[in-house]
Amino acid sequence: MKKAIALVLVLVLALSLVACGAKAEEKEAVAGVCWYNFGDTFIANARSTLNNAAANGPVKVVDADSLNDVATQTSNMNNFYTQNVKYLVVNNINTNAIGEMIEQAKEKDVTLIFANTNSPTDEQFATYDKVYHVSSVATQSGTIMGEALVKYWNEHPEADRNGNGKLDYIMLLGIQGHYDTEVRASYSVQALTDAGIGTNCIMETICNYQRADAQNQVASILQSNMDDVEAVIACNDDMALGAIEALKAAGFFKGDDSFIPVVGVDATANGVEALKEGTMLCTALNNPVILGNSVYKLLTLLEEGKPLTQENVGIEGTTVEGHHIYINYVGITADNTEDAAY
Amino acid sequence: MIKNKLDTKSLLMDYAIYVILTALVVIIAVISPKFLSINVAKDILMQSAVRIVVAMGCMFIIISGSADLSGGRMVGLAALIAASLAQTANASLKFWPNLPELPIFVPVLAAMLAGVCFGVFNGLVVSKLKVPAFLATLGTQMIIFGFSSLYFNMEPNSSQPLGSLLKGFRNLGGGSILGIPVIVIIALLVMLVVWILLTKTCLGKEIFAVGGNLEAARVSGINVFKIQLITYSIAGACYGLAGALEAARTSSATSAYGSGYELDAIASCIVGGCSVAGGVGTVGGVFAGVIIFNVLSYGLTFIGISPYWQNVVKGLIIIGAVALDVRKYAGKK
Repeated sequence: MKKAIALVLVLVLALSLVACGAKAEEKEAVAGVCWYNFGDTFIANARSTLNNAAANGPVKVVDADSLNDVATQTSNMNNFYTQNVKYLVVNNINTNAIGEMIEQAKEKDVTLIFANTNSPTDEQFATYDKVYHVSSVATQSGTIMGEALVKYWNEHPEADRNGNGKLDYIMLLGIQGHYDTEVRASYSVQALTDAGIGTNCIMETICNYQRADAQNQVASILQSNMDDVEAVIACNDDMALGAIEALKAAGFFKGDDSFIPVVGVDATANGVEALKEGTMLCTALNNPVILGNSVYKLLTLLEEGKPLTQENVGIEGTTVEGHHIYINYVGITADNTEDAAY
Repeated sequence: MIKNKLDTKSLLMDYAIYVILTALVVIIAVISPKFLSINVAKDILMQSAVRIVVAMGCMFIIISGSADLSGGRMVGLAALIAASLAQTANASLKFWPNLPELPIFVPVLAAMLAGVCFGVFNGLVVSKLKVPAFLATLGTQMIIFGFSSLYFNMEPNSSQPLGSLLKGFRNLGGGSILGIPVIVIIALLVMLVVWILLTKTCLGKEIFAVGGNLEAARVSGINVFKIQLITYSIAGACYGLAGALEAARTSSATSAYGSGYELDAIASCIVGGCSVAGGVGTVGGVFAGVIIFNVLSYGLTFIGISPYWQNVVKGLIIIGAVALDVRKYAGKK
């Protein structure tokens, strides 16, 4: 019994020592970065850009993989707080907990940067002055897809394969409830509606951003609606390419009269190949290199105590507004594939 | 009279899987008659082909009374290896920039070899280190996913989905001979080989014996270590082939490929009549088990039902199948 008490006492003492040490310690210029998924093509590019930039910069970067799991992201964030980082960059997937995340950062006095995710609201920004947001405007990607379809529809009267006067499309969603996928879906259809084109959704289905899922599901949808499908809107290129495989297998893309417009987002190497080959109509490029560089530029400005302005950021393709750095999407078609090289 | 009744009951039990499959097809066809077409059947067989090959591999392990959770990730690694070795010479983003175009059997064999290596590893860990199969293969699953991610992230690829695959290689997944998809022919050949191995050879009998009663098998002079090593290796070869086929079918590969396939394969085996306890299983049953899940996912999408319901129905079928299996087993005792 005595031993046990002694042990507890020793532990308590040891812990209090550690706690004191942590409080007294000055924060080093380290940024903890939580990426949602290292395996995601886009993230992999942004991540390597950021890490390369950090190799010769004033702020050290350590990163962690959320494995597309909210719980893992939370643990990773807590680990960074324990490591006493000065900046926390979160490629947030826990989109309903932004308020709580800001509160926690304020408590720990850590600068919080939301990257490639939806923005905190103005009220949330008002609660803490060390919150920033670096991201593309997801709505733009939807609009680019929609406008490409508008152009195609207006130039090709034969695109109305079933002659019902409406554009009948298949919508391929990424992950359920994922912010990007939702706005891409709604803004692409909105662009069609805004152009006065009637639409009809044949089927909206979740393919987890995966090519094989999209290929399987589109094959099935095609068999039951072969004569009605007039377009495929995919919330990323991998799913668009899966849809194209299924369309090819069902006899499309054999000649000029069997073209079905398929649009995607990301402009991956394979996606650009498909644009050149003439199977994919359009994709929207969200440049991961600009994302990685913008995040690092922001960290540098903060570390050097300089204000966040358009001039100070100085990266082409970005727009600075308050605590936001917006990264503009670029529409890529067969005509400007060179713009997708980064 | 009583005997007759019992027979009908056991007959229904033995063929429950086929009854459910028929019922499913009938229900979907009633809702949408277009479902009964050659093209739909072809699509379902093509989508099932990869799953059949995975399930055939998994079946060896289940019959031998063991378990394997590493199959799906092995499919993923194999898909990456196959795709990286099957790119055209002028691919826009080439995994191995200086690699010439290889004959298509090279990527397929390389993928299978990788599967066999990890199969042997599984077999050694289970039989020599005596780690329970469930946990041993869970460990392997993680190890393989780690390797896949490292491989996928290598320069200059840095986690880009692999593409620009050779036409000949893609034909393995999308081409057809006399109107029959090549991938389906391959799956049928694998089934034939597995059927011969399991029912016509001594090895097959020994695998059933080990799964039926490990101690009895040991006492009767069967080298259990050898059997375990062989079953895991054959399974690995199947997973490797499946990975190459998945890459060919989708003309691409990423490190996310194959995720969850192992559980689907186990479910297909159990629903197809393999006993959870080992020692029981048929090629035809497992084939039906795979088909049933693919008819389900294809058919429900076909008639426009949310994919989430597919999971509910899938889960119910698995529970039903195992409940039936347990009752069959209890009946025997």
